[in-house]
Amino acid sequence: MGESEDARGVRSLSARGLGLAREGRNVLDGVDFAIEAGAIACIEGPSGCGKSTLLRVLATLLEPTAGEVYLEGVAAHAIAPRTFRRRVAYVPQQAPMLEGTVADNVAAGPRLRGAQPTPTRVEQCLALVGLDGAFAARPASELSGGERQRVALARALANEPEFLLLDEPTAALDTRAAERILERVRALAREGLGLVVVTHEPTHAAALGARRRTMHAGRLREGEG
Amino acid sequence: MSYVEVPLTRLALVALLVAIAALVSRRARLDLEGSIAWAAVRGAVQLLAVGYALRLLFAYEHVLSLALALSVMTLVAAWTAARRVEHAPDRRALFWPALAAITAGGVVSLVPVFALVITPTPWYSGRYVIPIAGMMLSNAMNVVALTLERIFASARAEAPRIEQLLALGASPEQALHAQERAALRAAMTPTLNGLFTVGLVALPGMMTGQIVSGIDPKSAVRYQLVVLFQLVAVAAVAGWVAATLSRRMLFTSREQLRPF
Ligand SMILES: Nc1ncnc2c1ncn2[C@@H]1O[C@H](COP(=O)(O)OP(=O)(O)OP(=O)(O)O)[C@@H](O)[C@H]1O
Ligand SMILES: [Mg+2]
Repeated sequence: MGESEDARGVRSLSARGLGLAREGRNVLDGVDFAIEAGAIACIEGPSGCGKSTLLRVLATLLEPTAGEVYLEGVAAHAIAPRTFRRRVAYVPQQAPMLEGTVADNVAAGPRLRGAQPTPTRVEQCLALVGLDGAFAARPASELSGGERQRVALARALANEPEFLLLDEPTAALDTRAAERILERVRALAREGLGLVVVTHEPTHAAALGARRRTMHAGRLREGEG
Repeated sequence: MSYVEVPLTRLALVALLVAIAALVSRRARLDLEGSIAWAAVRGAVQLLAVGYALRLLFAYEHVLSLALALSVMTLVAAWTAARRVEHAPDRRALFWPALAAITAGGVVSLVPVFALVITPTPWYSGRYVIPIAGMMLSNAMNVVALTLERIFASARAEAPRIEQLLALGASPEQALHAQERAALRAAMTPTLNGLFTVGLVALPGMMTGQIVSGIDPKSAVRYQLVVLFQLVAVAAVAGWVAATLSRRMLFTSREQLRPF
């Protein structure tokens, strides 16, 4: 899968035969997956079926017991972990805030590499998730759940990734705020970002114009469950 | 100046003090009588044995016998430190990092002092090296146990934050920095507090011992200062090495936080 797309010069994130055994159980069981830059894939499925685990494996934060993740057809093992993670961003289900202000959080990724994003750049990232520039000076620890989720998204985008893995990005938001976030996510895809979105909400895939995949007990299938 | 010996019979009398503690335990239902008795017996046996061992060591002064004694002390310190750490990705793997950290702390704090500051003849004079090395190694042991326990416990409690940093492109060192810093600061605090309050409440052990055995307090204070400064160095070095090695236990070669 991955190779043919790469032969055409399209950027892709893929995985083949992913397995993860935990305490004698297969949390992931032979998962094949591929997504191209500019596309959105939605992963649905019941609680505990392995969605978050799959995202963590795709982000190389968790080592699979079988199979491999590929970025542009290159095995993740052949790419330096920090390089891979800068190119493939991951926002967990309840993204923890780091010390300091919202601006500190948004600048965290570049700072880890010794870069110092300008205040304008921080505002740009906040604007991408629909947050006002005035937010930059707020202490991150004071934010509401929904605000945190958006700051986490802005923080991930500050690294200028090629792919973005989102674990239930709208879980802490009301319907209106969720719609706005989904709109932003869709806009990001139009600009060439590849997105993998885990969601519980069946309407999201339609709202995102995404390809649907459903997980069940560690297995991933095309279409809805 | 005269020196008052403690005869064995009178030493036995002191055991009554332990009996008082046991009585208190029974009255207050602390349920500690067993521990008190066992601790007293074990402490007595260990110390009496050490007394004889030291006697032997001082009588047959030799580089090898000193090296042997220091090795045993270091090994026991490492073993004890490793055993005290409850949270770890792999408890069986703790001994070697603890040994490395304690050895590093011991070397850094002892070698310069015996090379340049306290220079007995011969240099391998057990009477000087053993007690001072003992103080360094036991401090290193405490610092290493505290550092490792705290780093592992907080890495576990704050795993989502560490993983978030990794996801943003942090190195393991960057991802664990906050936990390492907090652990090292906490582990060094008792040693630093020792310096802050020294002499105001209690006189430190080494100085007390020298004064009791008839040394001029002026000289005793100098020795004590040397030891206190050594303790700061041993705490910093042993703690830092332990923290650095803990990272290898917490992260995989693929820079993933190990689940534990
Ligand atoms: N470290 C772990 N050790 C053992 N089992 C784990 C571990 N992490 C996750 N699991 C198990 O793996 C399964 C999948 O978990 P995962 O978090 O991926 O589910 P999920 O689909 O994201 O669920 P939810 O929709 O509730 O977020 C669950 O049964 C979970 O208990
Ligand atoms: Mg989940």
